[in-house]
Amino acid sequence: MRSTELFDDYQNGLMSEAERRDFENRLGNEPILKKAYEEHLQLIQTLKMTASRNQLKQQLKDVHAESFGGDARLFSMKGQETFAKKHGKTIAVAASTALIAVLSTVAALSTGGYLLKQQSNQITDLNRVVMELQASNTAIVEGITRNNKKIAYAPANLEGSAFALNNKGYILTSFHMVKNADSIFIQNKNTERTLAKLIMSDVKLDLAVLKIENQELIQNWQVPFGIKDKVTDIGEKVFTLGYPRNEMVYGEGSISSLSGYSNDTSMYQISIPVNPGNSGGPVLDEYGNIIGVIRGKISGAEATGFAIKAAEIIQSINALATDSTKKDLSLQASKRTTLKNLKRSEQIKRINPYVFNVLVYKKD
Amino acid sequence: MSRPKVQFSDNEFIEGLRAGDNIMLAALYKKYYNIVLKFIVNNNGSEEAAQDIYQETVIALYENVRKPGFELNCQLQTYIYSVARRLWLKQLKKNGKTFLFKEEEEEELADVNEGMAWHEEKEIHIQQMNKSLLELGEPCVTLIQDFYVHKKSMDEIAEKFGYTNADNAKNQKYKCLQRLKKMFFEKQ
Repeated sequence: MRSTELFDDYQNGLMSEAERRDFENRLGNEPILKKAYEEHLQLIQTLKMTASRNQLKQQLKDVHAESFGGDARLFSMKGQETFAKKHGKTIAVAASTALIAVLSTVAALSTGGYLLKQQSNQITDLNRVVMELQASNTAIVEGITRNNKKIAYAPANLEGSAFALNNKGYILTSFHMVKNADSIFIQNKNTERTLAKLIMSDVKLDLAVLKIENQELIQNWQVPFGIKDKVTDIGEKVFTLGYPRNEMVYGEGSISSLSGYSNDTSMYQISIPVNPGNSGGPVLDEYGNIIGVIRGKISGAEATGFAIKAAEIIQSINALATDSTKKDLSLQASKRTTLKNLKRSEQIKRINPYVFNVLVYKKD
Repeated sequence: MSRPKVQFSDNEFIEGLRAGDNIMLAALYKKYYNIVLKFIVNNNGSEEAAQDIYQETVIALYENVRKPGFELNCQLQTYIYSVARRLWLKQLKKNGKTFLFKEEEEEELADVNEGMAWHEEKEIHIQQMNKSLLELGEPCVTLIQDFYVHKKSMDEIAEKFGYTNADNAKNQKYKCLQRLKKMFFEKQ
């Protein structure tokens, strides 16, 4: 056996009692072995130290990019820019065709590895899988101007929707979206892309609470909608806002059943056509109260979505809140009237800033 | 309506770093950047230089705080300013520039020698290791990191790298490690 393997086994506690004693004796009696062992330890220790240092460095770079603009996860657009300019339209059309093709495959096939009660394989998660589209996406990603530099973001692996829970920067989305995320960003027309941190998750209900780190962005938040915990009646009109595309999309319908797939009473069935990307979006009643969050749909069934009931959300979040989050995040059913007497288009204008496109970058 | 920003005390920051709290680390980073930026820019440095110096400052602070027995004997801001100042002075000297600092009048200086001597020695070893890893190249770097840093088993490594079995992976790891060792100790 090579000496480095001996060292590793000894370090990792993989030796039997007898082997260990034998090795320790040898260290005492063989100066050359002892020196080699000490060098080995120094090498490995420095290796580990270097790895954690490099990680810390990267972390600070990310924080810097997030807070003060500039680099890390962004890449310059130079090459693509001219390419896109030349072929812009064609690419966009080709890409959207590809998008539709991929999305329908995803919608038909995906079970996402996520289990919802027993029959979950028949419910489709509604995150947009963007991975397959990287090539075409890079060409059409929206260029934005910051520091006078044209920059574009690397395409996210998954995209979906989310909405604000309160004025303190807490937002709700679907857990299946953010599972195993390396980093999570949110954005919409009013809020430039910003990092959100996963604060808590309820795997069973498929809920995740995120928090916007940048305090400045939420300084003027006035979340206009309340949360309604009373069960909404069948037939009541509801609507949703979400990001099945890069643009916010509105959908309306009504409550079609007081239970979800396979009589799951934690959900409503709704007659709103939902698509990949709608996952995590809010469902609101006519008065602008949140009555649920989009969970998924039945594969193949058009205009049949499922939404987790608001009462379940409140219960789940209040049960999960730790002492440190309780102060900022105890959810109470509350009907606010700010949206009540407004036309739908006016309601949407006010809700818009508080519904987000979630972009998830996975590990690896 | 604007709400007040969250403010943490020095103590909360220190405790947060000690616990490895990333939120606190980010909050600290944001809070003191402008002080260092101003100092560097006023003293012949670019914004990029300020960013580099500041990041090393925060790293030095972070690693010192996490050492057993660390105590902060001054304000956090003073500590950060003093560390950044020392690092910038060192950098200027290295580039053969002598320079009279335009001090920030309102800033005090703290004695950070002990912690910084420790940091600088560590830094030398880390640089030697980073250079060695660069020379070592792939797949050796990933293989060695998978085993020693990420604690993957030889079976996992064999599968990931497409070796037929764990013994082959072991052989490869052995060869890589020998090379790394040679490179690393040659630099000392």
